[in-house]
Amino acid sequence: MNNNHKHSEGGHVGPILEVRDLSVNFGSQEVLKDISFSVNAGDVLAIIGPNGAGKTVLFKALIGLIPYDGEIKWRSDVKIGYVPQRLPETESLLLTVKEFLILKSKHLFFKDKEWLLAINHELESVGLSSNILERQLKNLSRGQLQRVLITWAILGHPDVLLFDEPTAGVDLAGEDTIYNLLRRLHQNRGLTIFLISHDLNIVYRYANNVLCLNKERLCFGEPHKALTNEQIEKLYGESAFYHHKH
Amino acid sequence: MDLFIDAQFLLILLSGIFTALAASFLGVFVVVKRMALASDVLSHVALPGMGLALLLNYDPMLGAAVFLVLAALAVWFVEKRTTLPPESIIGTFFIATLAIGVLLVPNEELLESLFGNLFAVSFSDALLIIPLAAIILILTVILSRRLTLSIVAPDLAESIKAKPDAAYLGFLVLFALNIALGIKLIGSLLMGALMILPAVAAKNFSWSMKSFFSISIIFGALIMAVGILVAKYFEFTPGPSVIITGIAFFIISLLFTKRQE
Repeated sequence: MNNNHKHSEGGHVGPILEVRDLSVNFGSQEVLKDISFSVNAGDVLAIIGPNGAGKTVLFKALIGLIPYDGEIKWRSDVKIGYVPQRLPETESLLLTVKEFLILKSKHLFFKDKEWLLAINHELESVGLSSNILERQLKNLSRGQLQRVLITWAILGHPDVLLFDEPTAGVDLAGEDTIYNLLRRLHQNRGLTIFLISHDLNIVYRYANNVLCLNKERLCFGEPHKALTNEQIEKLYGESAFYHHKH
Repeated sequence: MDLFIDAQFLLILLSGIFTALAASFLGVFVVVKRMALASDVLSHVALPGMGLALLLNYDPMLGAAVFLVLAALAVWFVEKRTTLPPESIIGTFFIATLAIGVLLVPNEELLESLFGNLFAVSFSDALLIIPLAAIILILTVILSRRLTLSIVAPDLAESIKAKPDAAYLGFLVLFALNIALGIKLIGSLLMGALMILPAVAAKNFSWSMKSFFSISIIFGALIMAVGILVAKYFEFTPGPSVIITGIAFFIISLLFTKRQE
């Protein structure tokens, strides 16, 4: 694979993100409480937890979409690409893939040539052909939309990618290749990746750090050390017990 | 028919077409954001503004513009503060203004305020309306990418610091000003409809946002031009004639509706 992106440079020592005592409240409802963790450049951090544990809320706080208490400190020059679970509104819009991707351009109109070249290049790197550009977002399959959202996120060369439950609603074969794609992006571009997942298999295979979340931080560290059977039971309850084979 | 009347008619036609161009471009966002009903109700806010302006001897268009922009700011503010959809906010707050407006506007002016009178548009009105409508159109085009992004994915917009709130506020203000511009032409009651009809008709023919915008403004201009010509020829009231033309366009577009999922 040709690869003219920057490799992980190792030049940046120290954390790319530090979070201290992060709390988020919606009205009187406590959604996140006193979360602290840090992430180094080039890490793959998996964030796991049951439904309603506050995983997506944590992402939104990290990007600055919602108000919070505590401290979120990104490295100063960091560029973040965000891949949401879905788009809130595609049905009534006739937006094509091309039109959608152009919306990330800084130019409000004209001067699209360079940006289109970048779009074509990034589509290729997520495994989509440029035929998809003229198709409407609402006619894409779940897996195609996912890749288009990833393309959006990696346009403009971010240092960090935040993936919100990248596999929700994608079939198993698609799921596997999405994670291989993530791994490629991580290896080829030295991206720091945050991924929300509910699948512990994914955590063991792809992440070098894990944050278990259920309003509070339940565990944090390398998956094999942090994710003890006891932790998993605490996180998901006994019914969802998962036994990891070594 | 002498030359002077023809020149004046041409100016009236042009003011109508320019207003319709801006309205039908803005209308795409009204339809996409599902605030068609809201846009109709918001246009009623113009009426008390016009009533007050008439009482104080100002141009009613100015009174309407002030009230509409204030209403747009109020909608934006309330929507930001609550999670209610725009429909319910606008419906709750502004339907009452129609009643107040009817009380404020003198009887002889009421019909014209509600339905406009294109043929009473003066030379100086036209010279005001045409450039203002052109400016509103240009500003909307400039805003359109940010606005589209803020509708399709507010989180993504926020994540690249594209300020979706500001884009939406800009849209509401342009929308309000455009209604004010159209009041002399086809009246406050029908201006809301002019913003929606070209876009809903265009949607049935469109295959992308770009085609949606293009077809909508073509329809907007055609609806206005045909409506005015029909009104002149048959001596109809122009406002209703324009709107009925728009509805005809919409009904014809239904015949071309692509398969629904």
